Amino acid sequence: MTKLEIEWPDAAAERVRAAKERVVLAGEALRARRFGDRLDVARAVLVDWTAADSPWRRELAGALSEATNFSEPTIREGLDAGLAAWDPDAFVACAQREIGAPLASQRAQLAPFSWTTVLTGGAIPMPTLLSALLPLVLGSPVLLRETSKDPVTASLLARSLAARDEDLARAFEPIAFPSDDAAAFEVALEAPCVVATGSDETLQSIERRLSPTQRFVRHGHRFSVAALGSALARNEPALTEAAHGIALDVARWDQSGCLSPVVVYLVGMVEGERRQVAERIAQSLDQISVEMPRGGITKDQAVSISNECSEARMRIDPDVGMLFEAAHHSVVLETEAQPRPAPLARFLRILPVDSEKALIQALAPFSGHLANIALAGFELSPTPDIHSAGPSAGIESLEMRLASLGVSRFTKPGRLQTPPVDWPHDGHSLFTPLARFTQSDSIGL
Amino acid sequence: MTRSEIEQDLLDWIAAATHDFEMARDDARFERLALALFRFQYEACKPYARLCQSLERTPDSVERVEEIPAVPTGAFKEFALRSFPEASTIKIFRTSGTSVDRRGELHLDTLKLYDASLLASLRHGFLIELSGQSPDMRFLAPDADESPDSSLTYMFDKLLKEEGGDASRFDLMDGKLDLTAFEGAIHAAREGDAPLVIGGTSFAFVHFLDHVSEEGSRDKWHLPSGSRVMETGGFKGRSRVVPADVLRADIAGVFAVDEANVINQYGMTELASQFYDSTLLDPSGPRRKIVPPWARVRFVDPESGIDVAAGEVGMIVIHDLANSGNLAAVQTADLGRAILNETGDPIGFDVLGREAGAEARGCSIATDVMLEASKRKGGSS
Repeated sequence: MTKLEIEWPDAAAERVRAAKERVVLAGEALRARRFGDRLDVARAVLVDWTAADSPWRRELAGALSEATNFSEPTIREGLDAGLAAWDPDAFVACAQREIGAPLASQRAQLAPFSWTTVLTGGAIPMPTLLSALLPLVLGSPVLLRETSKDPVTASLLARSLAARDEDLARAFEPIAFPSDDAAAFEVALEAPCVVATGSDETLQSIERRLSPTQRFVRHGHRFSVAALGSALARNEPALTEAAHGIALDVARWDQSGCLSPVVVYLVGMVEGERRQVAERIAQSLDQISVEMPRGGITKDQAVSISNECSEARMRIDPDVGMLFEAAHHSVVLETEAQPRPAPLARFLRILPVDSEKALIQALAPFSGHLANIALAGFELSPTPDIHSAGPSAGIESLEMRLASLGVSRFTKPGRLQTPPVDWPHDGHSLFTPLARFTQSDSIGL
Repeated sequence: MTRSEIEQDLLDWIAAATHDFEMARDDARFERLALALFRFQYEACKPYARLCQSLERTPDSVERVEEIPAVPTGAFKEFALRSFPEASTIKIFRTSGTSVDRRGELHLDTLKLYDASLLASLRHGFLIELSGQSPDMRFLAPDADESPDSSLTYMFDKLLKEEGGDASRFDLMDGKLDLTAFEGAIHAAREGDAPLVIGGTSFAFVHFLDHVSEEGSRDKWHLPSGSRVMETGGFKGRSRVVPADVLRADIAGVFAVDEANVINQYGMTELASQFYDSTLLDPSGPRRKIVPPWARVRFVDPESGIDVAAGEVGMIVIHDLANSGNLAAVQTADLGRAILNETGDPIGFDVLGREAGAEARGCSIATDVMLEASKRKGGSS
């Protein structure tokens, strides 16, 4: 019997190519719609998702709890809080500022990319929702690669788009393929515009495979911190609110996002105050964990947490530092501000620094890796004066100095994980990095 | 028991065990020495005492080996974990790392037990019938002049001096493999039909295999019968990772030796004892790491700290009695499981790779990774 060997083409690559051809074709109808039309549809979709009784959100919460390790209460709370912070009108206003204004000048035109590839990362749904909608508003159809960490959000978004508008729905396709499928990636990376989230190594690897003519919008890994000023320790209601807020920020999405705080700096607090604050944060985490238990963690994470806790036990003088170990979280009050590994999964370090200057020095090595910072317990400037030549005291001055380290947003504890829809992710504006303009000087000649 | 009494007992035990680990196993002796060593190290090492007190597991309450608190390997970076006066230090081994990294350190005030342990395991699990035959040895690793604080180089150097033939040497210099010399040694071994012993880091073998692949000529690397290869070190901190079974098969293929003759060593700077694959001793049995009688390997649920059921995956905790001058109970960052025989008894263990998806912790970056990045750019803003 003769054995016939057939070499099949890469199935995933073929699926990606077919999807790409479909969205490119759908791009014609998408671009035929006016910018304002597309923006209206995106706004309507956002309204559908952010409404208090959104069926899409409800369905997503159920699907995510089956598909991911997060506990269902954590997912529900994270989605409710995250999407409640998104104001569809703010989204529209942002689009008008960044895109509508240049178009209104009558000289600029949008020249949308024929298609955009979005390579998602992480397990938190909000970035996926946003990264899909933005190119569509700009007139570029989207091929979005789902990750195994979140295999449900994009498909649900596709359905919600279809419920609102056929043109936009046809111009969006989620697709899944293995991360080691080089052929499938090659096809996906043919897009004239590529948006990717990942580690520095992943982004560098993608960039090497792109040509200089391709637009590459990258979102590298980041982390967030909180800083609490000494005024907090003398203000009981403020301390209660800040401790609860930090605990919530840590518990949300089990500390897996770049907006999760991994460290809390206590600025200018004396020993007793530090212990008081650490205890309050640990207590708040205890309370929150009852309502929002941590989801399953990997064995590697458990090993990392176990090792970090053991090291803390060896390091910490019990009269100065503290270790709070619970089933769903760990809090370590260190005696110095030395950076140490962050196992995540609700593992929080609390580090003392003597002053705001020491805080800046402690964070300086992480310049470019900082996402957001939550601040509380700092005095407001008595007379903020932007024309003042010298540095002024107060929170505005502190924010200004921290912003120079690449921090893209300041907020209060409890809001780290719930940024507004138009926050400058990585310091960039929302639509502009994905937009392509053209200009004609020949009109009327 | 005093430390010297414990060490003498261990030296006697190791000497008797070299050629037959199984016959030398003695649970009661292990328990007795482990608990005595725990009492000594608790008194002599302040950070360790702090850990024990924090866990409320001190010599007053600990009655079994499983209750002895284990120190995470990361603590060897942070503390000088010695159970003797600093002035008595004669040797410090350091973990690999760049100049800006904090490196783990093993402090020693004597090498007697360290040497006895490493040579016994090498003779038992790797050299076996070649012990005493002075086989030529080549090492794809830097020598002691180039890496004076590397425990791996020290081990190869010790092996070379104690058991190696005249043509034995290190073939990695200034980060480059001396392939001409290495090829010459293989040619000479083949001409003399004398087994060659090769050792090296996993990553050095990867570089070597890349070269062979590019060069295209494989025959000249074939080894004579009875030759064996030991690779160790893993891929921590390397940009490229080759699965263990792939690396083993490639090494066996290029050198034309049976895969059973390619031995992986599991060891770490923080330990005095090492663990070798079983395949030279037991070619027909499952490949597993063999535990010397003076060490015990446990698999612990990292969340509860309790030993997992036999054969289940857990965090590897090692009690190495040869670590007499520092700390004997070490908690690793590795996962593993016991390999059981037909009757359910452990006959060795397996070290598992990182969990699938373990790196996928979301977009928040772990600060150890982040610190690397900030160091690379010199901490500038």
